[in-house]
Amino acid sequence: MRYQTLFAACLALLVASCTEPPKKESTALETGAAETEAQLVARALAIHDRVLTMDTHADTPLRMIEPGFDMSVRHDPNESGSKVDYPRMIEGGLDSIFFATFVAQNIRDDEGDSRAKALAMQMIDATIESTLENADTVGLALTPDDAIELERQGKRAVYIAMENGYPIGSDLANVEVFYDKGVRYITLVHSTNNDLADSSTDSKGPEHEGLSQFGEEVVKEMNRLGIMIDVSHASDDVFYDTIALSEAPIIATHSNARAVTEHKRNMSDDMITTIAEHGGVVQVTMYSGYLRAAPGNPKRDAAIAAARANMKPPSEMTDDDRAAMRETLNEINQAFPDPLATVQHAVDHIDYIVSLVGIDHVGIGCDFDGGGGIEGVFDASEVMNITIELVRRGYTEEEIGKIWSGNVLRVFREVQALAEQKATKAAI
Amino acid sequence: MEARKRAALCLVLLVYCVDLQSHPLKLSLCQIEYASAEKTLTIELRLFLMDVNEALVFDPDNNELGLGQPDEVPHAEGMLLDYLNRFFYIKANGKQLALKIKSMSLNGQGNDAALGLTFSYPSQEKITSIEIKNAVFTDLFFDQSNVVYVHVDDDSRSLMLNKKTPVHKLVY
Repeated sequence: MRYQTLFAACLALLVASCTEPPKKESTALETGAAETEAQLVARALAIHDRVLTMDTHADTPLRMIEPGFDMSVRHDPNESGSKVDYPRMIEGGLDSIFFATFVAQNIRDDEGDSRAKALAMQMIDATIESTLENADTVGLALTPDDAIELERQGKRAVYIAMENGYPIGSDLANVEVFYDKGVRYITLVHSTNNDLADSSTDSKGPEHEGLSQFGEEVVKEMNRLGIMIDVSHASDDVFYDTIALSEAPIIATHSNARAVTEHKRNMSDDMITTIAEHGGVVQVTMYSGYLRAAPGNPKRDAAIAAARANMKPPSEMTDDDRAAMRETLNEINQAFPDPLATVQHAVDHIDYIVSLVGIDHVGIGCDFDGGGGIEGVFDASEVMNITIELVRRGYTEEEIGKIWSGNVLRVFREVQALAEQKATKAAI
Repeated sequence: MEARKRAALCLVLLVYCVDLQSHPLKLSLCQIEYASAEKTLTIELRLFLMDVNEALVFDPDNNELGLGQPDEVPHAEGMLLDYLNRFFYIKANGKQLALKIKSMSLNGQGNDAALGLTFSYPSQEKITSIEIKNAVFTDLFFDQSNVVYVHVDDDSRSLMLNKKTPVHKLVY
């Protein structure tokens, strides 16, 4: 046995001596020299390239229902407002994304529910179709490991999500129908209350005082199937009901810290702490209104005031007068757009969440094509600027990897592991 | 449920623009429904009141027209229809429907207030095509998105129209 051990040790030594040590360039940090901006950017871009990047929320399926919209074509966001297509994902080094199917809340009866389901199915089919049409560059992803495997193949991973549980209607079986179609997280509610839960922003106020009884059943069913539960848009009561009920960690796919920016859509310190205690994650979103208090726009206000001062009363205008005035307003709006939040604001929220609960409970969900897009991260082609800012603030590669995908993939794995346990138990 | 009652019960459907000062995504919603049994084609259009005010009186916060409110001024509806006729139409089986507002309501408050318009047309013919033009507010905002849901009997479809693609025809 002793000879065997000695032989193994010698073999290991031989292998080790033959293995080329990893090439590593001396960085400014290692040599003690001050790192230039160009060096920092180069270092950040190299990190951005190495880590798996994942954006957990984009409303791009809304774009996919525009007649003629082609995900394989690069669009100019300043012409069309579009923020995501496959060329821009590649340009920005965005490896994976959750495309959220969204159906606006409408009548809550059988007919309304069945229509919502049909519309959701249409958007899911459009998303799947876009992956099939672009199979050389993207792939449909269903499990956490699919993103890693697709990245290894040099492809982008597209996950399907559902924003607003309205298409579930009042039929619990629909949760499994959507799971089978590929949906891997469901945002329980959107801007107005639905049959599942109360919204944080419904002007009529709460209806269920949290999750409804049916919403509780949906949460349990999502646990059973392995669908992540998204509490963005939900009221605070819904958050607490959900986290108390769910056996798996939950996520907020596009929400920020309320202590940094006061907004009902953002999460309080207690909510962030609670989600972390339960192993979940808050995905910081690039939506100006949730990132900072909106500043004024005095130049535009002055230009519009001057234009209005010279106009006839609207009731005395001809159609041509009105058209000309609208054109003037359009020109002013384009010349003096509302200032956007910046990537620094976004990383302020990341910093805050990290300071509150550590590095393991924060991620990124840009909300592109749903209002997201800030200065420096205006569309998918610019997401590397988040990494640059993280590097500038001293985050390590390991930490950046957790922020970009490690944390949410951990939650995703736990959610799917729970579902497997339940399936195994049910089979016994 | 009868289309009229459905329209009356509709919640505010407009979404996203929670923080209108930054106004990150401009959106309107249109729902077209035709049920063979009722032989009625109904159009519901939901527009942010701020956008309507900006288009008609060039000031999002100027509510002098009082649209959808008890103090609505007499010429307000005419101004709104003049605007809509430039940027919105529906053609059923190739025939353009004259826009005549059946009912108007205001839902929500403050920046979230949305104007709901209902148009209703008797239609004995089976629907074979619906052509939609929806370019409302694209003259004001380059990134205006107009979502359209079309329900013809059990067939539901959605599409998004904007400045680049303002018109689309659905064939049944």
